[in-house]
Amino acid sequence: MNLRTINLVIAREYTTRVKKKSFLILTFVVPILFAVMCTLPTILMMNTKEKKQVVAVVDNSGIVMPWLVSGEAAEYRDFSGANPDSLKSSLEALGIDVLVQISPLDSAVSVGVQTYSKKPAGVDFSEALRSKVNKAVEDYRIRSYNISGLDKILKDVKADVKVKEFTLGEDGRETVSESGIYMIISMILGMFIYMFIAIFGGMVMGSVIEEKSSRVIEVIVSSVKAIDLMFGKIIGIALVALTQFLLWIILTGVLLFAGNAVFGFGDMVKAASPDQTAQMMQMAAPGMDAGTLDLSAVTAQEPDQMSVIVTTLANIPWGTLLGCFLVFFLLGYLLYASLFAAIGSAVENEADSTQLQLPATIPLVIGFFISFIAMRNPYSGLVWWGSMIPFTSPIVMLSRIPYGVPAWEILLSVALLLVTFLAIAWASAKIYKAGILIFGQKSTWKDLWKWLRQK
Amino acid sequence: MAIIECREVCKNFGEKVALDHVSVSIPEGRIFGLLGPNGAGKTTLIRIINRITIPTGGEVIFKGRPITQKDVEKIGYMPEERGLYRKMKVGEQALYLAQLKGMSRSDALRELKDWFIRFGIQDWWNKKVEELSKGMAQKLQFITTVVHRPSLMILDEPFSGFDPVNAELIRQEILRLKAEGATIILSTHNMESVEELCDDIALINKSKLVITGELADIRRRYGNDNIELIYTDADGRHTEVLPRETDGRATLQSYIDKGVQINAYRELMPRMNDIFIKLVTGEDRI
Repeated sequence: MNLRTINLVIAREYTTRVKKKSFLILTFVVPILFAVMCTLPTILMMNTKEKKQVVAVVDNSGIVMPWLVSGEAAEYRDFSGANPDSLKSSLEALGIDVLVQISPLDSAVSVGVQTYSKKPAGVDFSEALRSKVNKAVEDYRIRSYNISGLDKILKDVKADVKVKEFTLGEDGRETVSESGIYMIISMILGMFIYMFIAIFGGMVMGSVIEEKSSRVIEVIVSSVKAIDLMFGKIIGIALVALTQFLLWIILTGVLLFAGNAVFGFGDMVKAASPDQTAQMMQMAAPGMDAGTLDLSAVTAQEPDQMSVIVTTLANIPWGTLLGCFLVFFLLGYLLYASLFAAIGSAVENEADSTQLQLPATIPLVIGFFISFIAMRNPYSGLVWWGSMIPFTSPIVMLSRIPYGVPAWEILLSVALLLVTFLAIAWASAKIYKAGILIFGQKSTWKDLWKWLRQK
Repeated sequence: MAIIECREVCKNFGEKVALDHVSVSIPEGRIFGLLGPNGAGKTTLIRIINRITIPTGGEVIFKGRPITQKDVEKIGYMPEERGLYRKMKVGEQALYLAQLKGMSRSDALRELKDWFIRFGIQDWWNKKVEELSKGMAQKLQFITTVVHRPSLMILDEPFSGFDPVNAELIRQEILRLKAEGATIILSTHNMESVEELCDDIALINKSKLVITGELADIRRRYGNDNIELIYTDADGRHTEVLPRETDGRATLQSYIDKGVQINAYRELMPRMNDIFIKLVTGEDRI
């Protein structure tokens, strides 16, 4: 290793990329997208006043109309007895958005429903309509049994079960949690790490191919050792990635802060959080010594959705998450970047690379799919193994981490990844050294194997 | 003394023989022309000297001992298919390559400025390489090859892509580098440049060495030592080729007696172009 030349290579790889317009654009666009993604739901929630749909109902069954109660989304008007055909032709004149035609009860004690509208009525509307008509028919059928005191019975059996989730900490502390949030964070992490490894690993390959196809390699290989060149590239591009992350974190923070000031959505979160969160924490506190949780207290004080989200978010180990993200990204990137460098050394242009690249990309894609499973079922055996096997572990482990992973498993996974990286780096360096100087032939995996075994 | 000596160098690519026991000796401080038709094995030989390609057999001797990576580090090598980063700016790229060859940043900057001014390309410094024309990129490539003042330079087809003015500029620079003591290996198809620049040559054809030695010797060997006499009389200018057995003094005297004006009386050297064609195809035009 020659530090002087390796530093020159790192500096070139880094500066040429950081100065690129695309780097600058990406640096600013991603945080904006991210901030918009974070704020948009809140803004939408505050601002949605949907236009009410006016629904004309021609009820030929005589049982459905009472169940069609106008609500925020739709206003049902009874047009029973009117001629549907003449209604159809004058929908606009009457200010009607949707015409619903309900058939008379048939022999199976059911009805047929047809809707007519100029514009599609929308999934929400048809779902609501279907559920209402179903209820009407079910009600009609159950009443046909002539059970006495039916209304009371129906009222008594009506249930509205809510599932509340708690996570048990090491110390027996229970915290309110929301699986949905874990799922989203798990998904985002898995996707990000997959994308970044593919993007930055791909950059290393592109850089190797560029040097080979432009014959720059012939000029510089006498002054730089192949291995210095390869690791210079990998390190330089890793620094680009880290710079990008750092800027993204800072910029997203700034934007969220600014967004907070402008839209005040943070106040909402704050308003929801301190009291209720505190209460929930208290409820959660008795934990082990109380033996059982005061269930009545929990049911009595309905924590609203927002505060559950806030508590869940607050309980996610962000520090560990970020630390793990960096460690797994770096190791995963190093592993794939060395692999891609070896592949890049065997081809003379990007077009030829696909064929060789595919086998190396497959584990990455498999990891991505396992992370989808991990998101829904983080405790499955497949996911566990996926988070240990080095080629998939960066992605799968990351998507497991929001759910909590024992430290020893993380350490084992990191150790395995590190050892594999060292082995792959050694092999890649050998292949790279031979490959970059072989011109005018279309190399295959067999050639790579041959170069690997060369002295 | 020979700076580079190739001894019985062989190279096979699978079944194909690219170089077949080629031995050449490249004297220090001179310009050595490496000639041969396309695909003869010139570039392979250059790559072997540069240690880019490992020979199948034979060895390369540098100043009396087997060549090492250290010796190669300082060689200025300009490959035929140009090696420049297309997306990089001209100045940054030149600085990077010069620093890789061991120059300090400040030295490289100073020397490069000099070269850029001498080549009249100062205002390219911030252009991207992909914006340059072929000839322009060639100039840049030449500068990056020689800026660190290597004692040995290998230039593969340095004149291709140049207009006559710029080709002449490069020829003058090559002669200047030689005057400063550098050894230059020149691979080219441009036989005029060979005649003008080279002290020694080697001709490779179909992976075999056909001939090597001092250029003047070779030209004389393939010529028939005819003598060319150019004179002007009342009818105009005449050129006459005289057989070598001619008694120069008597012949000249007889023309002088006729009262014509003698413009030239010289040994007729065969053109390198004709020697090349003869050695490669066997077709005699000399």
